[in-house]
Amino acid sequence: MRRTRARAVWALHLAILLLLLGLQFVVPPFHQIMLARIMALAVYAIGYNVLLGYAGLMSLGHAMFFASGMYATGLTILHFGFGAGAAFGLGVLAGAIMATAIGLVTLRASGVSFLIVTMMFSQAFYLATLYFNEITMGDQGFIISGRLQPLVAGGREFAFSDPAVKYNLALVVFGLCLMLSVWLTRSPIGRVLVAVRENEERTRLLGYNTSSYKLLALIVSGSLAGASGSIYTLMFSYVGSSFASILFSIYPLLWALLGGTGTTLGPLLGTALMTYVVDIASGLTSSYLLVVGATLVILIMWFPAGVMGGIRARWVRWLP
Amino acid sequence: MGEVAAVTRLLETTALSKTFGGLEAVRRVDFRLERGEIRAIIGPNGAGKTTLVSMISGRIGPTSGRVLFKGRDITGLKAWDRVALGIVYTFQVTSIFKNLTVYENVALAAQRRLMKGALGRLTLPQHILAEAVNRALAQVGLVDVGEQDAGSLPYGHQKLLEVAMALALRPEMLILDEPTQGLAPEEITALSLLIRALSRGVTILLIEHNMAVVLELATKVTVMDKGGLLAEGTPYEIETHPDVQKVYLGL
Amino acid sequence: MSFEGHLFLALLEGTVTGFVLALTALGLSLVFGVMRIVNVAHGEFFMLGAVIAWYFSTMPGGFLPALVAAPLLVGGVAFLADRLVLRRIEYKPESTIVATIGLLYIIQQLVLTVYGPYARPVAAPVYFRIDFPWFGYSGYKLVVAGVSAALLVATWLVLSRTTLGLYMRATQQDREMAQAFGVSVHRVYALVFSLGAALAAIAGALVVPVQQAHYLMGLDALLMSFIVVIIGGLGSLGGTLAAAFLIGMSDGLVSVFFSPTLAKIIATLLVALVLVLRTGGLFGEEGT
Repeated sequence: MRRTRARAVWALHLAILLLLLGLQFVVPPFHQIMLARIMALAVYAIGYNVLLGYAGLMSLGHAMFFASGMYATGLTILHFGFGAGAAFGLGVLAGAIMATAIGLVTLRASGVSFLIVTMMFSQAFYLATLYFNEITMGDQGFIISGRLQPLVAGGREFAFSDPAVKYNLALVVFGLCLMLSVWLTRSPIGRVLVAVRENEERTRLLGYNTSSYKLLALIVSGSLAGASGSIYTLMFSYVGSSFASILFSIYPLLWALLGGTGTTLGPLLGTALMTYVVDIASGLTSSYLLVVGATLVILIMWFPAGVMGGIRARWVRWLP
Repeated sequence: MGEVAAVTRLLETTALSKTFGGLEAVRRVDFRLERGEIRAIIGPNGAGKTTLVSMISGRIGPTSGRVLFKGRDITGLKAWDRVALGIVYTFQVTSIFKNLTVYENVALAAQRRLMKGALGRLTLPQHILAEAVNRALAQVGLVDVGEQDAGSLPYGHQKLLEVAMALALRPEMLILDEPTQGLAPEEITALSLLIRALSRGVTILLIEHNMAVVLELATKVTVMDKGGLLAEGTPYEIETHPDVQKVYLGL
Repeated sequence: MSFEGHLFLALLEGTVTGFVLALTALGLSLVFGVMRIVNVAHGEFFMLGAVIAWYFSTMPGGFLPALVAAPLLVGGVAFLADRLVLRRIEYKPESTIVATIGLLYIIQQLVLTVYGPYARPVAAPVYFRIDFPWFGYSGYKLVVAGVSAALLVATWLVLSRTTLGLYMRATQQDREMAQAFGVSVHRVYALVFSLGAALAAIAGALVVPVQQAHYLMGLDALLMSFIVVIIGGLGSLGGTLAAAFLIGMSDGLVSVFFSPTLAKIIATLLVALVLVLRTGGLFGEEGT
C-alpha cells in the first residue's frame, strides 16, 4: 500500500541506480555505450509513461517534444556556441513550451481523437524539419562535436567524447528523472492523475480541474522528452530529422507498454529490452523493425500490463 | 445590541431550464432550499430530477436561468469550483474508482481540501491525510476494509463508500441521487439512519423513488413532473395531494 | 510553360489524384464508420496492392490480372488480421490502434524482406498521349481516374442496393439495433475490413505504373487517406469523395506552384485543427 512501504520503494530505486553506477566498471565498452544510450532514452520513456500510464492519455506525437529538445540543444551549440549546461536547460524548456502549446490546443480532444491529433501535429513538425532544411539540415542532420565544449566542474574538464562522461551524465539525468517519477506518482498530484485516468467525470466532481491536471501531465511529459533529446544530443553529437519521425513517436509507446505502463521501473526495463532486441535484430536483417511490429501485437493481445505490470499484479503488490 | 445576521437562503434557482435537442428536460424551475433541510425530490422517470440537480452541482450547464448559492450567482462556475464552495454530488450509479483501494478513494476526496497552495499540492503529510480519511470511513462504518479494492466491495458498501467520499469533502450541501437504489432492506435502514445523523451538520438534497424513505427522512418534499415543479410541502401534505396522486396513479 | 499551362496541369493532376485518393481513402472511411476503429495499417494494404501488381507484371499474364488478384489476396490478408487479432482485442479503440501499428510494421518489413528496398517501375498496360496546347499528358493516368470512378460507383451501388450494403449501413447507424435484427456484427466487421483493404489494394495496383512500387509507399497513402476521411466524415461516401477532391486539388496546386512538402504540412495541420475544433470529435454523430 502506498503509505507504508515508502522506505522499501525508495530503497529499491536507489539500489537500481547504484547497480547502474557499478555496471560501468564491469561491462565491456560496447555495453557501456548501450547502457548509456538506454538510460538517456529511458528518460523519454519515463516522460511518455507519465502521460500514458498515469494520466491515461495515449499520444502518438512525442517525437515532437524529443526533437524540440534535440534541436534546441544542437542548434544553440552549433550556431551560438552555448555551453552544455545552458543548452540542456534550453532543451528541457523547448520540450515544455512545445507541450504547453500542443496541450492547449489538443487536450479538448481525448481518446482516439487525441491520439490522431498528436500524430498529425508531430507529422507536421517532422515535415517542417525537412522543409526548413537550411536550418535543420533535414534528414542529413548535423553534428555538434566540433563546437561542443567540455563540461567544467570542480576544476576538471570532462570531454563529452569520453565514454565515462557519457555514461555518468546519462546516469545522473536518468537517476534524477526516475526519482522525480517515483515522487510524482506518490504525491497528491499523482493520485489525481490516476483518478483522471480511471474516471474523469468523478474526479471533476471531487473538486479537481481535470483539464489543468492533464495539461500539467503533458508539460511534465514533454519536458522529460525534451531532456532526453537534449542529453542524447550531448552524448552522441548528432541531430537529424529522423528523431522527429513517427517511428520515434512509436518507440516510447512500445517501451512503456513492454515495461509496463503505470509503473516507475517499467520504462527503464522496456527501453533496455527493446533497445537490445532491435540492436540484435538489426545485425541479422535489414527488416529488423519487424520485431517492433510483432512485439506491439503480442503485447496488446496477451500482455497489456507489460513486464513490470505483470510482476506487480502477481508478486510484488507494493511496486509503484 | 445584537448583530444582524443576514440570513441568505442556502440554494436558489431562478427560471432554470435545460433543453436537449428538442426535448425540454427542465422548464423554468424556481427551486429554493434552506439550511438544515432534508429535502426530497420525487417524481416519475423523466421528470427532470437528475437534470435539475446536475445543473445545481455543475455537471451540466443550463440552457437558461440562474443558480444562486448563499446569495452568490454560481451559474457560470465549473463543477470543481462548486465543490470548493461546499456543494457535493454523489452519483446515481456508483461512480467510485473500482481499481483503487477504499482508502485511496476517500484519500482522493480528503486531500482536495488539504491541498492548499502550491506546496500543498506537492506534498502532504501522510498522518494528516490518514486522519481525515479514517474519520470519513468511520462515519459510514468502512474503516476495516480500507485496503480492499473498491470494486470488490458488495454493492451496498460501494454506496457507503460514495457517501464517505462525499463526507471527506466536508460538504455544506450534499446531493444524494437515489442513494437507496439497489440496496437490501437492512442496508436502506442503516443508510437512512446515517443520512439523518449527517443532516445535523449538512443540508441534504435527496432524489428518491423509495416513498418509505422519503416519508421517514424528509423535512420537505418537492414533486417534479415533466420538467417542472408540481407541488411542494411536508411529506404528509404531498402524500395526500390530489395532483401528486394523479401523476403517480394516473397514466 | 505559361501560367495557364501550369494551372491546367495542376487541375488535371488534381483530378486524377482526387479519384485515386477517393478510392484509397474509401476503405478507411468504411472501416472507421462501420467498425469505429482506426486502422493504421491501411496504407500497407495499398502498398501490398502495388507490390503484388509489380510481381504480376513480371509474369507471363502481365499486369492486368493483378487488378483482380491484388484485391483478393490483400482482402484475404485483412480477413486474417481481423480474425486473429482485431476480434481478440474486441475492437477496443486504443488497443486496435496499437495492434494496427504493429501490423503496419509487420507487413512493411515482410515486404522489405521479400521484395527489397528498391522502387521498381511497371510499364503501363495502355500507353497513349493526349496532347494539350501546353504539354502532353499520359493517357494512362486518365484511364486510372476513369477506373477509379467506376469502382467508386460500384461501391456505392453495393452500399445502397445490396443486402450486404444494408447490413453495413445498419451496423454503422446502430450496432445494437442491427444485432437485434439478426445481423451478425462480427461477420459484417470481417467483410468491411476485407473490403476496405481490397479497395486500397486496387488503388495501389492501378497507381503502380504511374508511381513506382516501393515498400514505404504505404505511409504517404495512409496520411492522405487519414486527411480525407477526417475532413470528409466517417463512413460517408459523398463526404469522402468531396474531401478527396478538395485535398487532391489543393495538393496539386500547392505542389505545382510551391512544394510537395509544404502541401503536406498544410494538409496535416488542417486535419489536426479540424479534429480539434469539431465538437463531436472523431466519431461525432454528425450523420452520414
